[in-house]
Amino acid sequence: MMLAALDWSFILDHIPELAEGLGRTLKVSALAIAGAFVVGAVLGAARAHRVPVVSQLAAVYVELIRNTPILVQIFFVFYGLPQFGIRLSPFTTAWLSVLIWGGAFNTENFRAGFEAVPRRFREAGLALGFGRFETFLHVTLPIGGRIALPSSINTYISVLKNTSLLTAIGYAELTNVSRSISAETFRDTEMLVVVAVTYLALVWTLSALIRVVEKRLALPEES
Amino acid sequence: MTLPDWVQPVAEYMLEEGLTATLRMAVLAVIGSTLAGILLGTLLTIRWLPSRALIRFYIEVWRGLPIIVTIFLIYFALPGLIDVRLNAFTAATVGLILWGSAQVAEATRGAVQSIPREQHEASAALGFGWVGRHRHVILPQALRRLLPPLVSLLVNVVQNTTIAAIIGVAEVLEAGNRSVERLTFTTSESHAFEIFAGVMAIFFVISFPLTRLAAYLERRLV
Repeated sequence: MMLAALDWSFILDHIPELAEGLGRTLKVSALAIAGAFVVGAVLGAARAHRVPVVSQLAAVYVELIRNTPILVQIFFVFYGLPQFGIRLSPFTTAWLSVLIWGGAFNTENFRAGFEAVPRRFREAGLALGFGRFETFLHVTLPIGGRIALPSSINTYISVLKNTSLLTAIGYAELTNVSRSISAETFRDTEMLVVVAVTYLALVWTLSALIRVVEKRLALPEES
Repeated sequence: MTLPDWVQPVAEYMLEEGLTATLRMAVLAVIGSTLAGILLGTLLTIRWLPSRALIRFYIEVWRGLPIIVTIFLIYFALPGLIDVRLNAFTAATVGLILWGSAQVAEATRGAVQSIPREQHEASAALGFGWVGRHRHVILPQALRRLLPPLVSLLVNVVQNTTIAAIIGVAEVLEAGNRSVERLTFTTSESHAFEIFAGVMAIFFVISFPLTRLAAYLERRLV
């Protein structure tokens, strides 16, 4: 009944614009997720192996980001930094701020994953003549990375959802495009229903994917 | 050391008006989320398919949507759908409760199911009905395990109140925004860097002890 009340031709007319917005949402998410993976793996390793200086700096970065709202971080980058001549475009602000946020959470995910790798695995690696870095690359990373996988995928899903906040700085991602269309046409309901369904489809697909990936990459049970 | 002239009125506005609204919203949202979440999470453990499917759908929808979209739906789309008009503060609070109750419901389900079967059986043998069994035996024990996620929820709710700024609620972030705008007009200097750094500092001071507390509880109770 409620679905019948929606004006479907109005929605169909605006599909091309919405698709462009969705494209930007996905582009920013992909960049931020890739970046958050690298930041998380590198800083997570530094934290887990207590690399001096880097580990402490990473801890400060993690606490600072986790204990402040992401929307404030976005505003700080977009409106605060220009005061010192650092002027970033909405697109750069967009992927950079969600990358910084996701990287902090991912650092924690990977730190926990690396720390969960049994000591004797690393000792075995060293005993086989691998250097410390090679041991990390061939032993800790593959095993710890898999332990960290479920929590890090959850972080990536949050990154995707958080890109919707970029509407506040006027970056034309999905949410922002829908609001612009509503502002011009005074039609809120149709646009928001479409946007909500799109996000749910994305998030639910990714969550289902986690379960598949988790099963395939799960570590064999220790006997 | 004397502070520049612009600082005091901005700080007063952000702390008196902004922080009051932030805390009021956070408290309402946490209470609402906890009550609704514990109820839904407990009901979710009943093996009756229709109620389980319905609650599962509720949880997956409100956890899956970005909170800003939920708040937009309530604030902008609800008047068109069922002719309900909420002011910005209420709309944002309801949005936070929908999201928060979904989180609490999921955590409650896990906590209730972690209580050994024998507890259910023993209390049933003592003559408790379903409600009495959960009220007096199961939930008091489950609550211990719920404590760490509830503290984390508090942190997340406090941080997520900033999203209300997007629909114009004058909480801390919006108070900061308006101050930046006012300063830009009157003095041509925005001071956005200092003001948003200040907003971050306010949230850090609230969140940091709470995240420590959540981590401590987690270690103690597990």
